[in-house]
Amino acid sequence: MLVDVTKCVSCWWCYAACKNYNGLPETIKPDPEEPPPLSPHVWTTLKPIKIGTEWHSRKQACNHCTDAACVEVCPTGALSYNKLGFVQYDREKCSGCGYCAEFCPFGVPQLESNKATGIAVMDKCTFCKDRVTSGEQPACAAACPTGAIKFGKRSELVPEGKERVAALRQTNASAIFYGEKELGGLHVMYVLDDSPEVYGLPADPEIPPPAIVRDVFKWVGVGGIAAAVIGFAFNYLVSREVIIASQLPGKEYMREREGEEEK
Amino acid sequence: MTEPRVVERFKKRTVWFHWIHTAAFLILIVTGAILFIPGFGAPAAGGITRLIHRIAVVFFAGVPIVYFIFNPRMSLHFIKETLTWGRDDIGWLEAAPIYYFGGDEERMPPQGHVNTGQKMWQFIVLGTGVLFLITGLIMWFFKGTVAPAAFQWCIIVHDIAFILAFLMLLVHIYLGVIHPRMTESLRSMLDGKISKTYAKNHYGKWYDEISTPEE
Repeated sequence: MLVDVTKCVSCWWCYAACKNYNGLPETIKPDPEEPPPLSPHVWTTLKPIKIGTEWHSRKQACNHCTDAACVEVCPTGALSYNKLGFVQYDREKCSGCGYCAEFCPFGVPQLESNKATGIAVMDKCTFCKDRVTSGEQPACAAACPTGAIKFGKRSELVPEGKERVAALRQTNASAIFYGEKELGGLHVMYVLDDSPEVYGLPADPEIPPPAIVRDVFKWVGVGGIAAAVIGFAFNYLVSREVIIASQLPGKEYMREREGEEEK
Repeated sequence: MTEPRVVERFKKRTVWFHWIHTAAFLILIVTGAILFIPGFGAPAAGGITRLIHRIAVVFFAGVPIVYFIFNPRMSLHFIKETLTWGRDDIGWLEAAPIYYFGGDEERMPPQGHVNTGQKMWQFIVLGTGVLFLITGLIMWFFKGTVAPAAFQWCIIVHDIAFILAFLMLLVHIYLGVIHPRMTESLRSMLDGKISKTYAKNHYGKWYDEISTPEE
């Protein structure tokens, strides 16, 4: 998917189409002055950006990274890669741990949790999985009247995005194509007329280091438990034999054993 | 009056403390680990296990605090014992592999009230306990007010503390309940007493201390 901020007219059709198609309840009245932030009920929204005296918008939703921090840290497999490349979400598997919400470099997955009871709900853009896998485009792209959201094959959208940026560059040196290489390549790429930071995108997003530390310790934990169980079984069998044997015929047994070992 | 054949190893209140703390920790383990076990997402996301986790931690943190208030000297002694390491510990470490695989008991240098292995466990309990509580409280009450990176590290430290504590708990249960040599270990945590023979064999230095009449 390609998002071209220069074509966006802030009509909010993507927002409405997303809510409508995905059956998300309307919890806040959209107000251009104060647009609704992402939440479990808002999977796509517009981020208002003021450049000079002009207002711009960037469509904000899951960027569907190729190397996604959320998939890395998700302990239950609720978040995973679809074979088409986007990050799919299986609500049934989610334990509401909130790791994805903490580790996403774009702050996309949103967790709503109750402090007292801890009831936690996470939700995010699904890339309209059932539409996309049956050959249709996502609801937001289908609804966009200006071509600011374009759905297609990534291999075709990358050159197209670059062309659009090249055209912009003739009058605007700060235009930039975002998402080609970031995090292994995003599945939502942006044609920007200013730097990524201005549009609320990290210039150099990365999987946070604690997520990598966690990955290592996960295997320390699993390996440790396996080693402990095997070690205990081995230790039990050996020590029981030796101790029982040494108790019955007295200390003679140990000496005999040692004698044998010396031979 | 005949001389008793057993000696007191733990006070009754210590035994109670141990088991309440154990129960709280086991509940915390189950309600925490459920977040990570694929297939158990629904009950965890439903919130009930999170609520239980928060209730259990009140006991997990509260019981040691109450114990400390009523037994400050014993508690401080426990902490001091846990943090005091010396040459004897190296002797234990050298002798331990053979000892635990059934080797001659006499080759193990005499131990104090707790041996080096038990001290390691106490150290893990104290250390991870502090880490659990600090990171847990931050995650519980300061979500959104601490920097995202700090929050991420809290998650990771909480997880690593769990791995350490859980692995050492397995060792603790194995040695306390199952190992063929530790015949009276579990009993000592039930009625607080062990036989004199067991005390002599396992905690020689401590036995000498307690059997020397005080002047």
